[in-house]
Amino acid sequence: MTPLYTFIRDHLQALAASGSLPQPFQYEFVINALLCALLIGPLLGVLGSMVMIKRMAFFSQAVGNAAMTGVAIGVLIGESFTSPYVSMFGFCLLFSLTLKYTQHRTSLPNDTLIGVFLSISLAVGASLLLFVSAKINTHVMESVLFGSILAVDHTDMNVLLVVTVICAIVGLPLYNGMLLASLNPSLARARGVSVRVVDYVFVVLVTLVTVACLKIIGAVLVEALLLIPAAAARNISRSLGELVSRSIVIAAFSCFVGILVPMQFQLPVPTGGAIVLAAAAVFIVTAIVRATASRFRGASV
Amino acid sequence: MPGPALVFDRVSLQLGGTQILDAVSFRVEAGALHCLVGPNGGGKTSLVRALLGQMPHSGVIRIEGEVTGPLGYVPQLLDFDRNVPMTVNDVMALLGQRKPAFLGPARSARAASAAALERTGVASKGNAPFGGLSGGERQRVLLAQALTPAPWLLVLDEPTAGIDAPGVHVVEELVAELHARGVTILWINHDVEQVRRLAQCVTGINGRVLFHGAPAEVLGRTRSPYAVEADA
Repeated sequence: MTPLYTFIRDHLQALAASGSLPQPFQYEFVINALLCALLIGPLLGVLGSMVMIKRMAFFSQAVGNAAMTGVAIGVLIGESFTSPYVSMFGFCLLFSLTLKYTQHRTSLPNDTLIGVFLSISLAVGASLLLFVSAKINTHVMESVLFGSILAVDHTDMNVLLVVTVICAIVGLPLYNGMLLASLNPSLARARGVSVRVVDYVFVVLVTLVTVACLKIIGAVLVEALLLIPAAAARNISRSLGELVSRSIVIAAFSCFVGILVPMQFQLPVPTGGAIVLAAAAVFIVTAIVRATASRFRGASV
Repeated sequence: MPGPALVFDRVSLQLGGTQILDAVSFRVEAGALHCLVGPNGGGKTSLVRALLGQMPHSGVIRIEGEVTGPLGYVPQLLDFDRNVPMTVNDVMALLGQRKPAFLGPARSARAASAAALERTGVASKGNAPFGGLSGGERQRVLLAQALTPAPWLLVLDEPTAGIDAPGVHVVEELVAELHARGVTILWINHDVEQVRRLAQCVTGINGRVLFHGAPAEVLGRTRSPYAVEADA
């Protein structure tokens, strides 16, 4: 994919040099991050609306925290400090599948169980990161926790692209089944949906997306970007189509604003924080729209 | 051609250490309108969930006869956040097509979905938020989804609970129509008069089979199926 990235980058940089685009477009890492944002928008928009409906926001937070442990394991076993994807995907998938497996076999409430797993992953991650901190510089830690566009390279872009393709191929045909399984498992079963299978598939997709977005948004804030665009879209939507499309637009918009504004105005804000703040601003606007426009107030009971 | 027969053979199941069903055996004849009655917590819904493959159980649940179409199921309620922006058409799309519902109704499913909503008297509600419907209207939508595509076996879990008289009339009319077409219908029902009027066979369940047979024979003149338990 490198020739394609180079082709796009060269054109955008030429436009920035001629003054047709803002000055940040002159930088390679900004364009890399914006290309990632183009993928992150639809990914988080579609998946985030489902996370919200299925009430699994807390789960994605737990996976984000598990990624920290994944990074530490990666450093310990000698993976690249900047892209320890084998360890991150490996540990996060193990973590989320174990959590789901336990969920199916315990009478503990979901939030309690996720809270237990989240605490364990946070404790293990923090301990291991402190243990390996001598081997890596603080910028790597910072980019893992809060995201950094400076750290985004072609490997990260390729990972995100592959995850997007997997989500499209696996997730879209199972979308109705996954949603139905959370609304009424018996009804889903009657419609031929294998409830347990789609549950596991959804967990795997959320995990893949969380890890793939980590470089841009960071482990601490990735859950926020899964949730806030969907919550903002929900404020101004009356149908599923509106919810998902607006969620995609808001997620992509937040990424663009969060990447470009700190660069343009030279603000010392980590990318993840800036993106989430942009999404939060949109959420506040949509909340005001909902409170004042009867069209949206009437959408709920 | 009638729908298939259903055989429940010594079906037992436990939930959290509590025995919900204990060796329940009975048969639903092909093309019959068969009602399940019994007190709340008696295991009727659990039995239906076992039929749908949602509850681990011992014993055998067998479908006898040719399976020529899907299974229609109308749940007691759809437990979801009523503020989620989802229209009636979204719900129909979610249940009746493979194309992701957020992309809109599939062309192939649109006509059948509209006809089913028309049949249950909620055609005008297609673009209305599903969470904003009354309990009766929601139940009619759930009934409509069970009609698309036309089922060979219809399982109803108290579809008339909490709905108004016109709604009950729609349900009864539809059930009678499907029964006349030969669809096998298993209906969890608390209304003894309705059971007596419509069903060919009734099974009383409270953890075990209390009675089984034609309503006129086993229900007698009682107004409550639970009174029969004392006589059984």
